Amino acid sequence: MTLMENTDAVLPVTHQNVEPQFLGDAFNHLEARDINVWFGARHVLNDVTLAFPENSVTALIGPSGCGKSTFIRTLNRMHELIPNAGLTGEVLFNGKDIYAPGTDPVSVRLGIGMVFQKPNPFPTMTIRGNVLSGLRLSNSRVRDEDALVESCLTRASIWNEVKDRLDAPAGSLSGGQQQRLCIARSLALAPDVLLMDEPCSALDPGSTRRIEETIRELSESMTIVIVTHNMQQAQRISDQTAFFLAEDGQPGYVVEFGPTDSLFSMPNDPRTEDYVNGRFG
Amino acid sequence: MTTTLERPVNATPWAVTASNSRLVGGVASIAPAALTYLVSTVSTWPGLLLLLFVFLPLQVIAAAIAAVIIHGKRRVADAILDVLVYFAVALLTILLGSVVVSLFTNGSHALSLHFIVWDSSYVTPSTSLDYGGVGHAIVGTVVTVGVAMILAVPFALAIAIYLTETRGRMRGPVRFIVQSMSGLPSIVAGLFIYSMLILSGISPQTGLTGAFALALLMLPTVARMSEEVLKLVPSELRNAAVALGAPRRSAFFQVTFPAARTGLVTALLLGLARIMGETAPLIMTTVRTDHTNVNPFTGAMTTLPTFINAFVSDPHDTSQHRAWGAALVLFLMVGILFSIARVLTGSIKLRRK
Repeated sequence: MTLMENTDAVLPVTHQNVEPQFLGDAFNHLEARDINVWFGARHVLNDVTLAFPENSVTALIGPSGCGKSTFIRTLNRMHELIPNAGLTGEVLFNGKDIYAPGTDPVSVRLGIGMVFQKPNPFPTMTIRGNVLSGLRLSNSRVRDEDALVESCLTRASIWNEVKDRLDAPAGSLSGGQQQRLCIARSLALAPDVLLMDEPCSALDPGSTRRIEETIRELSESMTIVIVTHNMQQAQRISDQTAFFLAEDGQPGYVVEFGPTDSLFSMPNDPRTEDYVNGRFG
Repeated sequence: MTTTLERPVNATPWAVTASNSRLVGGVASIAPAALTYLVSTVSTWPGLLLLLFVFLPLQVIAAAIAAVIIHGKRRVADAILDVLVYFAVALLTILLGSVVVSLFTNGSHALSLHFIVWDSSYVTPSTSLDYGGVGHAIVGTVVTVGVAMILAVPFALAIAIYLTETRGRMRGPVRFIVQSMSGLPSIVAGLFIYSMLILSGISPQTGLTGAFALALLMLPTVARMSEEVLKLVPSELRNAAVALGAPRRSAFFQVTFPAARTGLVTALLLGLARIMGETAPLIMTTVRTDHTNVNPFTGAMTTLPTFINAFVSDPHDTSQHRAWGAALVLFLMVGILFSIARVLTGSIKLRRK
């Protein structure tokens, strides 16, 4: 019962202020403010406020069904594709609310890419075609397609494995390779932010390690938000971590948000401590 | 603990249009119609030409300009496609709607309760519309279509299962034959049954021979559709069942078949819809009567299409009205059949949840 009494405040516990500034003076590239989400009349996400500074990696952790994936989908307007979806709050991208009237969701998604849990390369396209698919789908042109294909595949750490068979169908790759191809596909559009929804959950440890390396390299030039069920992964790759939780039948919310190191080593909330030490969830 | 908030009314920010785009959108949707109206006051073109060659291009241009103003160049193609799709939908709705309207206006003269219940015994062209009806034709349609369904569906399902669930060597040829059969002119199906069963003396013209002809038409439609539906069931489901030690028979009946059930019902319905209005095969394989006959094995049997065919070729007003009335009854029957099937498949889905 003590657990519940000391958390009557709905606001997440942050380590310094409510404004997360713990990554120096990097400006907040992407910021979610008071996000509430409904499916039909069911309230599933309660007042989530998180900030993602430029070129940071943020891990979203928490047990299944706590709204992490739902939250990440609100960040590039994929959420509204679900029938009955409802949302209030703001998502500021470079200071502008992506939900402001008149904002084109298509251009939002060009700037904020997404990689899904299950590798989903387009089966009817070649490896090369998959990398270029974002350009084709958005009717963009690029001067040197070969150079783009090479640089994207290199940044996704898969170039050496596929450089001799760029015209092979994407389905001929292994699961881990397919997932890295999907990352390369997102990179071709040069997004500022990359959202990843459990990108390693279907992969073996080797592929996972490769993707983690990729994420570290990418974070030098882009902001990354990643949902993960793997505590070690969150510790290895992220600068800051948000711990989501949903109690029976209640909407999910952020229990604690802070720099990854301190959140894992000395959490402020006992529930966070229990979760990161594997005592539940 | 957190609090659960009531969903506010305006929880869908993506559905809100900006005020400037509302203005642009408003102008773009009114201006082309207004301009077309102006043109129509000075031109002698008929309405359809105006619609196609004045309104449609204007609307396409207006939508493209509005898209550029609201969203930028990227969305021009979307806007143009939107206009074309909505235009096509509106045009088709009007065309199909006018068919339905003419069916109701012409058919309503004859339609009444006794028209549905009575048969046409002792009805002559001079008989008032207050007497006689299409009860015998409704019964005939239900019986022949029902028997045709009983004859065709097991074979159609067997073919679909053979094509999707087995590795049989004859799958290629079978699929080819079924596919070519679906292009079979319906009169050929009638002729086939006529020469095979009736001319050869095996059977006189009865409801059953009509049902055979209809079954021949229904079979390829249902078989091909069912094949496509079964193919859509993910192979992971089959694998999961097989991995639980299920023999192929139980895997099919307990996993694959239930997963495809809604689609299979649709296949069956489309097959029924295909044959309910068929006239040509029945003209050769059944004999028309004015009396009610519920027995498909003996005697003459009238169906709604053959009833319509007979009465529409009679110049008297009453006969024309009866033909229209029968057409309306057939239309309503198909509508009711589809509604019942929707409700049934809907409740199956609910139960699964």
